[in-house]
Amino acid sequence: MARPGAITPQEALDRVGETLGPWIEEPKLNFGAVDLVCKPENLVRVMRTLRDSEHLGCVFFTFLSGVDRSELGEGGGGLEVLIHVYSPEHAVHVTVHVPVDPAAPECPSISGIYKGALWHERETHEMFGILFPDHPHLTTLYLPEDFEGHPMLRSFKLPTRVVKAWPGAKDPEEAAAGGR
Amino acid sequence: MAMTTGPKPASRGAGAEGRLQTQEMILNVGPQHPATHGVFRLLATIDGEILINAEPVIGYMHRGYEKLVEQRDYRQITNLVSRMDWLSGINNELPLALAVEQLMEIEVPPRAQYLRVILCEMNRILNHLMFFASFGAELGAITPTFYAFREREDIQRVMEATTGGRMHFGFFRPGGLKEDVPRGFVDEALKGVRQVIERLPDYENLLVGNEIFKQRTIDVGVLDREAAYSYGVTGPIARGSGIDMDVRKDEPYLVYDQFEFDVCSAPNGDCFDRFWVLVREVGESARIVEQAIEGLPPGPIMGKVPRVVQAPAGEVYVRTENPLGELGMYLVSDGDRRPYRLKIRTPSYSNVSALSHVLANTYVSDMIAILGSFFFVLGDIDR
Repeated sequence: MARPGAITPQEALDRVGETLGPWIEEPKLNFGAVDLVCKPENLVRVMRTLRDSEHLGCVFFTFLSGVDRSELGEGGGGLEVLIHVYSPEHAVHVTVHVPVDPAAPECPSISGIYKGALWHERETHEMFGILFPDHPHLTTLYLPEDFEGHPMLRSFKLPTRVVKAWPGAKDPEEAAAGGR
Repeated sequence: MAMTTGPKPASRGAGAEGRLQTQEMILNVGPQHPATHGVFRLLATIDGEILINAEPVIGYMHRGYEKLVEQRDYRQITNLVSRMDWLSGINNELPLALAVEQLMEIEVPPRAQYLRVILCEMNRILNHLMFFASFGAELGAITPTFYAFREREDIQRVMEATTGGRMHFGFFRPGGLKEDVPRGFVDEALKGVRQVIERLPDYENLLVGNEIFKQRTIDVGVLDREAAYSYGVTGPIARGSGIDMDVRKDEPYLVYDQFEFDVCSAPNGDCFDRFWVLVREVGESARIVEQAIEGLPPGPIMGKVPRVVQAPAGEVYVRTENPLGELGMYLVSDGDRRPYRLKIRTPSYSNVSALSHVLANTYVSDMIAILGSFFFVLGDIDR
């Protein structure tokens, strides 16, 4: 059952556009969630507004992570920080894409706004090599301290796949029909 | 394992001014501790009996699923994600199937949807009974374990007969189910959940009405609403803090909107309320299973799925209500048989990140009660 304060995705998109207009780019709807792009320098302001503005009220922190879009083909883009927040009152989902410079990836920390980001940023830091300069404790979360490289980057190949290509790339039935 | 910090050496007895000299001490809890359901370490700074600070240390079981899934096709991933939260395997498989179905616009037949609900809710009962048992044991009451495992076994047997597995089911496919349920499923499943409903009052009396249990849990380890939102805490833990969020109600997926059930919540945010929510949710799940079995339609269990499952290029975020909270998957597809990127947002990860907030300035003697009441599975954190 819908909550009394729930609004439609289109309404949510309009409200986001009105409230955050100058600081965001390409707001659109994607499967019912508001999807927007935000430059790193505007991120803190955007996230704080999303949380504090009464008619958005995205107080719930869902996740923060990264996406390396460098192998996504034309128009794919590069490295980005991906943030998802949710408004329990208005049933609004907001996905924020923050493109960062792949050569020196850096993004302001939002752990001062959403405490949940503390761990998510540590994970994104070690997995994608993205720096969150004002994070209070940016150490490794999962990986050993002396681990080299950032495993979630597309350029980081799994050792097994270096030795042998992905077996699933070839359909077993096709291979069987091919006469072997 | 304890070591002292600070410049001064430890002194015995009274100091120069006649007062007892104390200093902070760092205590390692874990990595092996029965209260943690996996390998988990807590770096606790204690001052006498007070926990000043507690820093969870995770990653002992990190398997890198988010990287591995990029090298596997969707059918194979089902079996990987089933192993994240090993107490609720079939629930883990659901958002992946839903995400692929949304991108491919596959319609899932009603029978498959009903069966998915039944299996997910039975899995939720299994999970909750497990935590009912372990939380009791952590507080020194061993009897709940025997109660819970008796009821678990009946449902476990139905799950095993249906899927072939007791923990890792691998039963959901994009488009439907691996196969239809075996003969006798309906009767056995009904018998299992009715038994749970019948015996639930015993469970409640056993622990919830117990004076020692109350003393150890009421007003202990309070998680406030704002912090729960800010850390992204979900599931029984959030609902124990007065947040009535439940994806099954807020954004019904599958056929959850056709059943009557309540979202259990409690206002105080202490260990008792978290546990109380957990116990009541068992009854609600059993109610859902009863209704779903009653309305179970005949028909196919697979939708129209192409032989090769290739999600078209696009991005989607799908969330479902796992037994321990919101399980979300953000799928980025480039049109291949493998996901380009699959971000897995697991409930235990976000829930446990709030632990240091809750544990600060509590008593050492309450630590295990608080840890236990956060109902986490390490496989879900270190996915």
